Amino acid sequence: MNAIEITGLTKRFGRQDAVRNLDLSVPAGSIFALLGPNGAGKTTTIRMLLNQLRLDAGEGQLLGTPIRELSERDFEQIGYVTDNHPLPDWMSLDYLLAYLKPLYPTWDEALCTRLYKLFEIPGTAKIRHLSRGQKMKAALLGALAFRPKLLVMDEPFSGLDPAVRELLIKGMLELSDSEPWTVLISSHDIDEIERLADHIGILRDGQIILTENTNRLLERFRSIDLSLSEERPLHEDCLPPTWWCAESTRKRIRLVDTAYSAEATQQLLSKHFPQTMDASITPMSLREIYLAIHQHSGSK
Amino acid sequence: MLPFKVTFKTGTPVYEQVLYAVRKALVTGQLAPGDAFPSVRALSQELKINPNTAFKIVGVLKQEGILEVIPGIGTIVSANYQPPNKDRLAFLEDTLESLAVKAKQLGLSRDEVVEAFNTHWKNL
Repeated sequence: MNAIEITGLTKRFGRQDAVRNLDLSVPAGSIFALLGPNGAGKTTTIRMLLNQLRLDAGEGQLLGTPIRELSERDFEQIGYVTDNHPLPDWMSLDYLLAYLKPLYPTWDEALCTRLYKLFEIPGTAKIRHLSRGQKMKAALLGALAFRPKLLVMDEPFSGLDPAVRELLIKGMLELSDSEPWTVLISSHDIDEIERLADHIGILRDGQIILTENTNRLLERFRSIDLSLSEERPLHEDCLPPTWWCAESTRKRIRLVDTAYSAEATQQLLSKHFPQTMDASITPMSLREIYLAIHQHSGSK
Repeated sequence: MLPFKVTFKTGTPVYEQVLYAVRKALVTGQLAPGDAFPSVRALSQELKINPNTAFKIVGVLKQEGILEVIPGIGTIVSANYQPPNKDRLAFLEDTLESLAVKAKQLGLSRDEVVEAFNTHWKNL
């Protein structure tokens, strides 16, 4: 079952398509990372999903409820953390928690206390006097304490120092022993989520250019570095379409293999580069894969 | 703090790397029979890995008889667990692979390498 399922999602601002014909499936129980540069449409997509922004076209459902019919009852199961959604800043954290608690039937006081200790946020100071990191911790605390079935986080780490990021992730993972819970997290901090996300979606110019299981993605991408014994002009058109040329100089070529398998890649290499002196095939980090995809989709 | 150390590298599935680290800790004695093993939540939080991955890791270790659950106490390394020889051998895997690769690159024959290895072995 999918916790989020949307098809054909479209949003126009004036004549500009902010999000265009976007399909997205987030499997229940997964941590899904929505990656993309600023302005790619991450926030717009998330706000449409949560019925905060009217859809110009498309449809979808969250935890089984059609997006346009999402009601307060549904939001009792959905946690939402974002940088641009201000907390009531005249309240203190203690006041805020006391205010939130009766709104959520599944509020877990023990978990709330644990997170409160973990995050070390001053409870009596007014929220407006808290630092950026403390505000984000407060927002996450409020969104986690009722053990949401779906947690949506829009750029939770941006502009925060590494220690705070670590703590936010640790806090989020306090839910690990919950019933299946799903996380949708938008970010451009790829390193933070490489081991966390089991599904990746890449947005560019309002469109999804890739969604894939993280492990499969890491398995099929390889960087191939070739040293040639003789200079040879490179005809990119002659290379297999699954190979992307990243860089080439006179006697060195760096390729990105997007369909790596030890045997097939080796065969293709001897076919296309019989004059290879040295070939090194190395795995790529999620960050490198993301950059390669981004570069490739831009050059098309 | 976890009773074993994982240094993540890209390109290998996370769960394989953690299983490797656990087996290594068992072979070296860092983790001994009867020792407490971290919960899924602790594993996920400490390593910052997907909880489903942590769950899978604990599942595999239980299935292999490495871990057992003691009601009221938690998960521990099975009292009678002995790391098998193949696990010890697994820690030479990288060294053996790079040796084989190097030897081939240098155009050495298998017999020549084995002979050289035997000499070293005898000298120990």
